[in-house]
Amino acid sequence: MGLNERVTPHSASKLAEEIHIAAERKMWDDIVRNLHAKAPNEACAFVLTVPSRGVKRATVIMRRVLWPTSGEVQATPFSLEISADYISRVMDEAVDAGPLVGVCLIHTHPASDRGPGKGSFSPRDDWYEKRLFPTLTLGRKEAIAASLVLGSEGDVDGRIWWEGTEGVEMQRAHAVRIVGSRLEIIETPSSAWTDHTDPKVMDRSTRLWGKEGRRRLQNLRVGIPGAGGTGSLSLFALATMGVGKLEVWDKDIATKENRHRTAGVTASRVGIPKVRALEALAHEVRTAAPFEIEVHEDWATTEEGLRQLKDCDILFCCVDRFAPRVALNDLAYAHLIPTLDMASWLHRNDRKEVDALMTHAQVWSPGMPCAWCRGTLSSYKLMREAQGRQQAIEKRIPYGLPLEETEGAEPSVLPLNMLGVSLALMEFMQVALGITTRTPRDLKFTLPEWELDENDLVTNIGCDCESNIAAGDTLAIRPILLV
Amino acid sequence: MPQPSDLLLQAVRELSAKSGHDFQSSMEVVPNTSLFVVHAKEHEFRAEYTVSSGVLGFRVPSNYPDASPEDSFFIVPVDVKLRQPDAVRQSVDLNRAGRAEGLVVGSALGNAPVLLFSWHLWDRSPWDRRKHTLFDHYTHCIRRFELPEHD
Repeated sequence: MGLNERVTPHSASKLAEEIHIAAERKMWDDIVRNLHAKAPNEACAFVLTVPSRGVKRATVIMRRVLWPTSGEVQATPFSLEISADYISRVMDEAVDAGPLVGVCLIHTHPASDRGPGKGSFSPRDDWYEKRLFPTLTLGRKEAIAASLVLGSEGDVDGRIWWEGTEGVEMQRAHAVRIVGSRLEIIETPSSAWTDHTDPKVMDRSTRLWGKEGRRRLQNLRVGIPGAGGTGSLSLFALATMGVGKLEVWDKDIATKENRHRTAGVTASRVGIPKVRALEALAHEVRTAAPFEIEVHEDWATTEEGLRQLKDCDILFCCVDRFAPRVALNDLAYAHLIPTLDMASWLHRNDRKEVDALMTHAQVWSPGMPCAWCRGTLSSYKLMREAQGRQQAIEKRIPYGLPLEETEGAEPSVLPLNMLGVSLALMEFMQVALGITTRTPRDLKFTLPEWELDENDLVTNIGCDCESNIAAGDTLAIRPILLV
Repeated sequence: MPQPSDLLLQAVRELSAKSGHDFQSSMEVVPNTSLFVVHAKEHEFRAEYTVSSGVLGFRVPSNYPDASPEDSFFIVPVDVKLRQPDAVRQSVDLNRAGRAEGLVVGSALGNAPVLLFSWHLWDRSPWDRRKHTLFDHYTHCIRRFELPEHD
């Protein structure tokens, strides 16, 4: 079979329903700055990539840039010549990095006297890449390769390449996701995003974040692991404020005891899965049009749940235990999915007065400290949680004290949960819509101080959250089986 | 019901190889907890005890090594005493150790009562999930047999 016959760049092949290319913010800024600095000439660089394979979405994540050395690229304002040595060096690096590691070619179209350089593939790009990518993908069936073209005015086009059964296959990317303390999504010419069908409905909020913000809310897919106190209120708020795609996970059945702190669990919905109660609520209050919600009657941190989570742009972590937070924290950094974690805790003394209370909302995302760095997670806390009803047994039995079995259920009230959710929603507006110039790391409200404070903890030296950034599917995230 | 992870089973094999004792993990968690029981059947105790050897074990969370082993360990038989009263406490009871029921349910030890030691295992250098192993935990445990009984 000849080379041209093997290449079907405009075939109907699909690796997934949605294709994203994603990069951590600092890396992306470096790439864009360095390549555009070569203007008026075109410029290029190869980047090693890792896959992030969800159910509906496949994302190619940029992991490490391999800059060309002197003489490896010859460029003019309208052409590039990439040396065989550069391609060979990149291939060697990819092979050495493991079977999941692919290669992304990024190049620029600079502005010229003909006008702005367009962020779209030219016929010459098509011609060249049709010949290049069979080589880059050959024998690497688990890896996904990609190519990106950067226009001079911030416009971008992208596509992915992989070895299929009939040779190399190509699918156009729908978006480029850039993730740091904020989430930026650049639509490509193949974007499937749509605007609200009746924008007037959203008038008052559009006055804050503009048409672009409205469009972003309308098209973001927000995942909510946990449909309890904070999860139900988060879903209610997100559906009301115009988020167009929601996904929720929880295995619990709604009970009458949930009603006093859970949105959507009406008397008639007691006895059905919590996620079904929330699905009904979402359809009642949603303002996005079109709107879709997908619910899963299982925990989000099962093997399948972890795969489904990779379809999301942002997560609201609404689980009530520490163990699943380990997996969700890893996912945020490795798969570049900003996650807003909420937790509430309150304690009352013997006089039935609240003597300590805390609710917080944290952002887990590259450039921000992770749950381990902030002390939200620790091996000690996880051990205590694992003790379940025998909590702190080692502090009682050896001293002749009876074990006071505990079911671990603490007081929980709607105002506290609602405050935590509100803090998370403020962070959501910042991460997704950029309402100010800075993203807070952690907003925490405490009693008896009656204080709202921002945590000043920073990333620990050598923390896994740094080394796992953009690791994608090369990082094994262990499913958490909750009993 | 959670099964012990490959990571935990591998860690138990490594513990056996390094310690020279045949440690095994329970295949199910203790009811109402997420803890597996890891124990060796024939482990030497300190010379001052009335029994020279027996079961030595501890409990490990299902999400090990993210979660640390418990800050305690146990021995069987449950009625082990000191041969001579401890000079400081004037007692043959083992210091900071007590009979515990329901601690090892689901393991090969059945529902046997155990003698549970409270022991500050990870107070000076907290458990590091990327560095510490069950062998580190075990060496912390047996330090209890080397220090003065009243310590």
